[in-house]
Amino acid sequence: MGYRVGVDIGGSFTDFAIFDEQSKTLRSLKVFSRPDQPGAEVLEGVRGLAARYGVSPGEITYFTHGTTVGVNTVVQRKGLKLALFVTEHFRDVLELARLKIPDMYSLLSKRPAPLVSRDMVFGIAGRMLADGSIVEPLDEAAVEAAVQAASAAGAEGVVISFLHSYRDGALERQAKAVVERVSPGLPVFCSSETWPIVREYERTITAVIGGYVQPRVSHYLGSLQSALKDLGVPADPRLTKSNGGIMTAEQGKQQCVQMILSGTASGVIGASYVAETCGIDRCMSLDIGGTTADVALIVDGRPQYGVGERIGDFQIFIPSVSVSSIGEGGGSIAWVDRLGVLKVGPESAGSRPGPACYGLGGDRATITDAFVATGLVGHSDLGYNAVHVDVGKARAVVGHLAERLDRSIEQTAEAIVNIAVSGMFSEVSGLLSRFGVDPRDFSLLAFGGAGPMMACFLARELKMREVVVPPTPGVLSALGGLIADLKNDFIRTLYLDLGPGAMPVLKEAFAELRANALSWLKDDQGYDGPYALAFSADMRYRGQSFEIDAALDSESIESGRFEALAEAFHVAHEQMYGHADRTAPVQLITARLVISGKTEKPQFPKRKLRPGRAVSDKSVEVFLDGAKCSVPLYRREALAPGDTFEGPAIVAQDDCTTVVLAGFVASVDEFGNLRIVLGASA
Amino acid sequence: MIIDKAVLQVLANHCAAAAESMGYTLMRTAYSTFVKETEDFSCQILTRSGQTVASPKSMGATWYTGLDYGAVIRMFDDYQEGDVYCTNDPYSGYVATHSPDLHLWMPVFSGGELVCFVGNHIHNTDIGGAVPASLSRTLTEVHQEGIRIPPIRLMRNGVMNDDVLRILNLNVRVPEQNWGDLNAQLACVKVGERKVQGIIERFGLEAFKAGLEQLLDYAEEQARSLVRSIPDGDYNFSDYADEDSVNGYPVRICLTVRVRGDALTMDFTGTDPQLVSSLNMPTGGNPHHSLITVGLIYVLYTLDPTIILNSGTVRMLNTILPPGTVVNCEFPAAVGMRSLLCNVTQVVVIGAFTLALPDRLPASPGNGLSLVNVRTATRDGRTVMASIGPVGGGAGGGPFEDGAEGSGANMSFLKNTPVEINESEIPIRIHKYGLVTDSGGAGRYRGGLALMMEFQLFAPQSMVTARNRDRCLIAAWGACGGHAGAASSFTRNPYGEAEDLRNSDIVPLEPGDMLLLVGPGAGGYGHPHERPIERVVEDVRCGFVSRERARSDYGVALAEDGSVDGPETQRLRAALAGKASKEHFGHGAGRVQFEKVWTEQRYALLTRILTAAPVTWRFFVKHQLFKAMEGRPAGPDGGVAELLDAYAALATRFVDLPPPPRLRTVASTGVAAA
Repeated sequence: MGYRVGVDIGGSFTDFAIFDEQSKTLRSLKVFSRPDQPGAEVLEGVRGLAARYGVSPGEITYFTHGTTVGVNTVVQRKGLKLALFVTEHFRDVLELARLKIPDMYSLLSKRPAPLVSRDMVFGIAGRMLADGSIVEPLDEAAVEAAVQAASAAGAEGVVISFLHSYRDGALERQAKAVVERVSPGLPVFCSSETWPIVREYERTITAVIGGYVQPRVSHYLGSLQSALKDLGVPADPRLTKSNGGIMTAEQGKQQCVQMILSGTASGVIGASYVAETCGIDRCMSLDIGGTTADVALIVDGRPQYGVGERIGDFQIFIPSVSVSSIGEGGGSIAWVDRLGVLKVGPESAGSRPGPACYGLGGDRATITDAFVATGLVGHSDLGYNAVHVDVGKARAVVGHLAERLDRSIEQTAEAIVNIAVSGMFSEVSGLLSRFGVDPRDFSLLAFGGAGPMMACFLARELKMREVVVPPTPGVLSALGGLIADLKNDFIRTLYLDLGPGAMPVLKEAFAELRANALSWLKDDQGYDGPYALAFSADMRYRGQSFEIDAALDSESIESGRFEALAEAFHVAHEQMYGHADRTAPVQLITARLVISGKTEKPQFPKRKLRPGRAVSDKSVEVFLDGAKCSVPLYRREALAPGDTFEGPAIVAQDDCTTVVLAGFVASVDEFGNLRIVLGASA
Repeated sequence: MIIDKAVLQVLANHCAAAAESMGYTLMRTAYSTFVKETEDFSCQILTRSGQTVASPKSMGATWYTGLDYGAVIRMFDDYQEGDVYCTNDPYSGYVATHSPDLHLWMPVFSGGELVCFVGNHIHNTDIGGAVPASLSRTLTEVHQEGIRIPPIRLMRNGVMNDDVLRILNLNVRVPEQNWGDLNAQLACVKVGERKVQGIIERFGLEAFKAGLEQLLDYAEEQARSLVRSIPDGDYNFSDYADEDSVNGYPVRICLTVRVRGDALTMDFTGTDPQLVSSLNMPTGGNPHHSLITVGLIYVLYTLDPTIILNSGTVRMLNTILPPGTVVNCEFPAAVGMRSLLCNVTQVVVIGAFTLALPDRLPASPGNGLSLVNVRTATRDGRTVMASIGPVGGGAGGGPFEDGAEGSGANMSFLKNTPVEINESEIPIRIHKYGLVTDSGGAGRYRGGLALMMEFQLFAPQSMVTARNRDRCLIAAWGACGGHAGAASSFTRNPYGEAEDLRNSDIVPLEPGDMLLLVGPGAGGYGHPHERPIERVVEDVRCGFVSRERARSDYGVALAEDGSVDGPETQRLRAALAGKASKEHFGHGAGRVQFEKVWTEQRYALLTRILTAAPVTWRFFVKHQLFKAMEGRPAGPDGGVAELLDAYAALATRFVDLPPPPRLRTVASTGVAAA
């Protein structure tokens, strides 16, 4: 028996979730993140665990870790200086991206500067066609010349991305061999090896981001491994991945691109687990931190997956848990425009200086300051005493705006909250329409440092049926790492017209993917437990410019029943777009396989419900729904399963504050989750 | 009832959310490729009088933020819950701007009271008429551009008027496509209705009604406040499209912006007469017509990206749109390709405002962007039609930065099609695709480079269309000392017996034919010799600018290894500074040549002659006079006499034409005709 520890590094705080295998209890810890010295916070936290909970490093038997090192490398543009080798006469793949400009109403808007500037992009003769045939051999001399020129210009690595290499990476491998011969030791990344999808920009940017972050991430992981060893932690760290799974640290060093969005993904995995254990079939997770506000849809315990998730200025096209940003989090700044209209964001105080009430030098009113000024937040310290809340400072900065608006500090603070919530409402509402779902059918699962304080407001606007706040909402991402399975995605781009002729090719492709997947799980991850394989394919009607990923059954693939595969696509198309055309020809672009090996999950004991009224700690004065009032404040740790209370109320705990609005009734379920239901009678 | 300014933003967010929900619903369920690929659609929440209050900001076309449904809404007086109305006729109420755009509107009721409307439109792939897809520059009357549905009730009590559909189905080429798109449009207005009712529930009926008006007032106040920051004055500018019809003469859009305090007038007097081709813009003379205000919206938003955009934004505007001109054509002029001149109009508006605010607005974008479509066949004879992507030019150099490369500014919403997708879908070989060195106008801030594509088709009877080809004669202008961008070009078989295709927009191909399409570069901003030397060096290193042009345009002498020859650079830059143009606009050679013949004086006279002529005669007279002036540059007096003689001869031949104006009056009136 020992401890299972999940660690997640966020923009402001680093969260620890500690599961005690003996007592089956979950505990949590937060320390400040150290963007200046990534990794230091992990060590500080591990020492903190010993001091606070008596967890000795030697007892940590399982360790998962999500990190923003990769994202930060891209955001801060501190990655490897790369050269990019592309097919001759197609040099502008990064400059042009997909042509579209971010702000389409501004005449001055531009695409972000590419990660590889044009002087470091080299066109190489050698041409493959769409069917994989080579019409012009690779000009090896050109590759040699390019390597020399790139090295002379200070290149620290080379990315190779040739047209149609999703079909066959032969030309890329040939060029890679030349680079390795001319310049041994220079890191080389091939687009066909990183993630072989069709569409040259999407494949190239994915490979470029992978190469760009690789040295920093792998150096970081190496030092983390040795630091944990020095501390005496016996567990080899596992890394959370963008696809919601985990992998070994050794593999993470090779495939950094896979773990770039690990933090956001593992939050959603944690939320999915909570939703599943509570039996919530339709759930939207709401993760609000100091610098980000994200939502994700979870149906039947499964999060949505997608490609094209944002990393700083760019998108990355490997399969990821689909998370949508709906704002800039608790640090968003409120301001008054020259016509006297109050606004919130998009400017953010970030984690430094952060909200004024943190006393770290912030001097403009943020959403968090507004909550403090209404009296809803700030009755105890935040983040396990890492932050002392200075109510005076919050009132002072909100007061500046109040003067301009000629209203009270509390009224102004509440207006800021309402505007912030309506902005989030607007984003969420659009997102739900995109997927054609109705918010009234969903529960809102709130986490992150600021999620629980805003969730009820948002649920009220969206008329959602329920808000769920897990026992340790501040560290759900860290918990997600403990839940996640070993998981990897495999693809092969085929570009087939779906019909009888395509089936042998498809069958062979899936057989190959399956062999690769099993080898990954057993050989690379050293795992020999039960596993699951999920087959699917990206398909479309001929002439469409986008594909839909439709789940397939392996039986139909084996027996060559293309009609069944086509039907799977028609159904998926109908679900997504409301119509399907069963007479139209279908193309199968990409075969996909996801393998997952089950990890042992922490089991949370179900506690017995003892229905009763919750007992409040004290009453506090707040400004809510336009009036001053006195509301009960409950301590989260004092609430027991079965306890019930009505809003308006506040629940304070170490890592966050939950606001329960009038008209909602809260109760504690058998897993300790707060279930806040709209309009139910107590 | 007045909504507090501290909560107005809350209502704005809820309205924006409703509009976005409408947009996503439409995009998600539509069939048409125009919707899914180029996002050629709009949707909006409208006041009871048809003014747009909210429209989605992140999707859809950028042209319709202030769309005015007033005229069509007023055609009915018995609105009921469950009604839906539609029209696609460009001449009935001036909501639809060409026949493929089908517009829908639906009344929203609360407690039995008509509160507001929701509306939308989709560009249908085909609406019938003379040519597939209904659009061609060659068409001369709106009747050739497909079936026209007058403003009509499509639904009552939620029940479809099937008679309308039966007529529609019979007249279009792929009815199931139109039917699919119509269903998406219906789903969209229904979502809009439901969302608006949700907002009413949230805010209360009175607050909602007052709030809509306040949102218009708020946008108006924001715009007025911006206009106050523009110096009072008259700002005149013109620009041209290369051709007013197939192989025709240039067509001019002329604008005088008058700024007075917090109000604007945009006076289009001096703009060319309507055409016997489909480039005309059907505005009905509505001073706030969205085709006319697009450029202004770009300008205001660029000045302040935090403003909200709705019908209130343009309330401070008065517009003069002379009847019978391309900016206010009369029935039955064809209008299908009005986008080409709408784009030119946007650039003219930007140009006029750069005179007022030279340090806040950019030079001309490349514009003249072609949407390239291919029709060819596979080896086994299956016909393939596909869009292979837009080929245009970058954004103009701005007061703070270089322009975006390859596309941007008023063309920012377009996406390209990947080379790998094109080559997989179509039997096509793309040989080159990328940016064109030296095509961006030189400047302190360089214009964005042009985009080029070189490709080859292999099947007989293949056909390429390049909609909106332009700018191979009149290039994108530079500003504040910046140079013009490079002109565009279109060439068949550039490496063999090259054929110059100029502005052709339909090209039949022989098997193996190669096409090279080069878009126009954007204009530069500020004097090129003031561009920091290190940025010129970087441009050369990156291949945006050649060593030769670094020397001739920027005055930077570079050795072959990229090192700067300091003394030589100093000498070159001093020389450039000495002969730097004092003109605000930097025009390309094509326009300079053109204006040697067509001086301001001659154009003023031409406008005067044409304004006096009957509308149906104007295009003919213009062509006769252009022909008469060919190869006859004007003397120092502006060359008015020759033009007057030419017209006198014409008026003698055709008795329906009015007599020539008296010359003395013309000479003294200066710029625009009285």
